[in-house]
Amino acid sequence: MTTLATFTHTPGGPAHITLNRPDARNALSIDLIKDLHASVRAAAASNASVLVIRGEGKAFCAGMDLKAVLNDPDAPGQLLMSLAELCLAIRSLPMVVIASVNGAAIGGGCGLACVCDLAITHADSKMGFPEVDLGVCPAVVAPWLVRKIGPGKARRVLLSGGLMSGREAHALGIVDHLVDTREQLDDATNTLAARLNEGGYKALAATKQLLNTLDGSLDEAQSREGARLSAKVLALPEAKEMLAKKLSK
Amino acid sequence: MISVEPRGHTAIIRLDRADKKNAMTPPMLASLAKAIETAASARAIVVSGVGETFCAGFDLTLCRDDDTALEALLTGLFRCVTALKEAPSAVVLSAHGAAIAGGCALLAAADIVTTTDSAKLGYPVVRLGISPAVSAPTLRHRIGDGPTRARLLDSGLIDGRRAVVIGLADESLPDAAACEARAVELAQQLAEKPPHAIGWTRRWLNRLETWPPAAAPDLGLQTSLALAGNDEQRSRLAALWARLDASKTN
Repeated sequence: MTTLATFTHTPGGPAHITLNRPDARNALSIDLIKDLHASVRAAAASNASVLVIRGEGKAFCAGMDLKAVLNDPDAPGQLLMSLAELCLAIRSLPMVVIASVNGAAIGGGCGLACVCDLAITHADSKMGFPEVDLGVCPAVVAPWLVRKIGPGKARRVLLSGGLMSGREAHALGIVDHLVDTREQLDDATNTLAARLNEGGYKALAATKQLLNTLDGSLDEAQSREGARLSAKVLALPEAKEMLAKKLSK
Repeated sequence: MISVEPRGHTAIIRLDRADKKNAMTPPMLASLAKAIETAASARAIVVSGVGETFCAGFDLTLCRDDDTALEALLTGLFRCVTALKEAPSAVVLSAHGAAIAGGCALLAAADIVTTTDSAKLGYPVVRLGISPAVSAPTLRHRIGDGPTRARLLDSGLIDGRRAVVIGLADESLPDAAACEARAVELAQQLAEKPPHAIGWTRRWLNRLETWPPAAAPDLGLQTSLALAGNDEQRSRLAALWARLDASKTN
């Protein structure tokens, strides 16, 4: 069986995790999240100072693969809890984590970008949180967006739904660095990763740990509550009906 | 190495070591803290730097022959940050030219910041094995948690225009003279306000930011101090001295 997420690391350089489910725009299935957990464990065991997360193919990550789990009453809850735990695991990594948002980063995919310490994208990528448009609640990703851009702006973004361009995401602070075109992204990501890689491992890890403490990143109870809330809303008849309609399109 | 110029109801406190780009030493930090703490008669304080550069950060050459220098610098900086937060009156800071690391930490603790368009601002110290954590508790309240992460983990510097976009500075001016002049002008405007209203508002804003920090000494300072003198820092600073020596001989 092919792995849906790969971890690679050349000693001395930045490490990479690639979401490898391009035919489904790297949508987060139970299996993809499981493989991401394994990749994050591999990253934790490495001595890399920098980790880059990217998506294979055109998309970074199209969000939760809800289509596959909608008819199983327990599956959405498991999927959401597994995502919540993945977010915590990524944030707990000692190295600096960069999201290189190569294409669409939607819902849970945009949340993953916010969990990373830094994010870079190009002007035309599609990002955002359309959960409310689908009748569901972005409870897992909300705390990470709040930490990234502050509660005022996060409120507007999450309640407004829809998608935005990479340029708009940069203006809002969802990503930290912007290049004009997709073609420029890999070079710019490598330059950023190389610069961060000059940082001392211990200095980076200690600074990151303090930031995690100050901004409440490691609040496991909050993460789990978000997953439960999101699953609860997803199970409401009105949400199921809307989703079935939207996803059959 | 610190000069104080009373002007009207304001006090202009300047880092005064222009030949070293106002790089900070422990005595200089002690004088700066004292100047801020004792500016009680001023109704607004301007913090600035003599010359084209506000502050190049710590004078790390002091760490070359003195293992305790970095701890003294970090502790001295924390006292200045505390003095700025708890100052009797509002603080406007002119971050012209550059505000690097410890210099940037001063800026994060001020009420209003002016800078210059081409200024270089940031914390390029993790590559020296030094943690800028001492600045984290104040910086996150100035610019938010997301941008704080980006600034403290990345040695890259940003210019004055970008600093205004992310909220690290409030206004960007074309040059150093205009930058300090604008800071003084803003301070004079603040000096016109009722001092008790400014004082209570500042104290309330501090409390909303949970300042003073609940943990004593502050968690940020502790994190920076915990790394002082470790093997990573020693080897990276040794490499820095070697680079500096090589550039002198060439």
